Amino acid sequence: MQTNLLSKVTSDKSRYMSDKINHPELCQWLDAVATQRNKQAFTNLFKFFAPKILRIAKTKFPNEAQANEVVQETMTNVWRKAHLFNSDKGAATTWVYTVMRNVTFDMLRKIQGNKEDNLSDDIWPMAESMSSEEESFNDHLENKQLLSVLEELPEAQQEVVKGFYFSEMSQEQLATHLNLPLGTIKSRLRLALAKLRAQLGENS
Amino acid sequence: MITHHPKFELIQLFVNGQLPASLSAAIAIHADMCPKCQQQIALLTEQMAEVSFEEDSLQADLEQSLTTDNDSTADYSTDLTDEETLESLSIDDMVDAITMSDELAQTTVAADKTIIYQNENYVLPKTLSSMTLGKKATIGKLSRTRIQLNENEVRTSLLQIAPGGGVPEHTHKGFELTLLLEGSFHDEKGEYVKGDFIMLDSSVQHHPISKDGCLCYTVANDALHFTQGINKLLNPIGGLIY
Repeated sequence: MQTNLLSKVTSDKSRYMSDKINHPELCQWLDAVATQRNKQAFTNLFKFFAPKILRIAKTKFPNEAQANEVVQETMTNVWRKAHLFNSDKGAATTWVYTVMRNVTFDMLRKIQGNKEDNLSDDIWPMAESMSSEEESFNDHLENKQLLSVLEELPEAQQEVVKGFYFSEMSQEQLATHLNLPLGTIKSRLRLALAKLRAQLGENS
Repeated sequence: MITHHPKFELIQLFVNGQLPASLSAAIAIHADMCPKCQQQIALLTEQMAEVSFEEDSLQADLEQSLTTDNDSTADYSTDLTDEETLESLSIDDMVDAITMSDELAQTTVAADKTIIYQNENYVLPKTLSSMTLGKKATIGKLSRTRIQLNENEVRTSLLQIAPGGGVPEHTHKGFELTLLLEGSFHDEKGEYVKGDFIMLDSSVQHHPISKDGCLCYTVANDALHFTQGINKLLNPIGGLIY
């Protein structure tokens, strides 16, 4: 009964489903892992997926040890996250694929960017959000930061920057207003911008 | 209504996990707001999974098999059978090691992150919750916070435009992606709304203005280049904005 139901779901699911994968069987194994922590079912899943994951990983990681790590990590997550699998929402293959894709993404990022931030689960969430404790990111520096940097500028440069950005006057208007040659306004603004740029930093 | 979507090629790379985190996050956030793209992603993921785990299929042939009938991939053969590959994996050891712990993965999702710009409080998309934010920089009606993703020349930021503000007319030396998280803006081409995914290349020159203010997620791989009059003076800080 269960089998019939599952095969109906999967066969209706998509025209891309081929006969070459026994989807109902994979689904039952994954459910058995999720609900009974069934080690035999997990061994079956391992035998089906691990060699395929290894071959795919080898095309992405030149290093054999890294390719093996993808298999290890992916299958570990299959064991630990099986309870998040929902056969109503899709095939077992799709679920394992997303687990593998996420592991690969984080590992590549770690190798290329030297970043261990594991962003994949935020980009491709495996589970709907559960908790939601309010934690806000309030940066009180906001304008204060810029203002304090501004205040370190020489008075003459401050005047020009504030006139240009805060009062939104044109350089010509500023020249008239401050009774200075346009060239002076321009050079003061240029100097001030260079300092601001250095202070705020390209990478801040 | 959202009218600007990521191109099919981008969505495909996203599904394969081949885009940098900056662009992957942008597509994920867009899809959360766009049922059409969400559906396309679900379908492509299913399709990729099917091809990946079919007997005797190889990643190298995925693209080809995607565009041909399922039948034509059936007789593809590989150097190693599953059994031979398995032997190199010492399966019993690995299964034992993995199943030794019965601990389930924790699935708590990070709390909402909010950010305040010029007295406007914005809740950031969940996708960004683990990303490290830099300090804010505010210049007139523009505020920018760098998102520290370490992607070399690719820079990712949150950009807020206060009501009535805009980015001076500019071009890009590379690409510029703007994803509208809140509010709206317009340029010479038209009006953009929350969820719009706007990818521009270096051929485009534009001058976005936001009447009521907006918050954008931006990804660019080079500095802006201001093209008009007095704003050319901003060129030295073009890299500060996007």
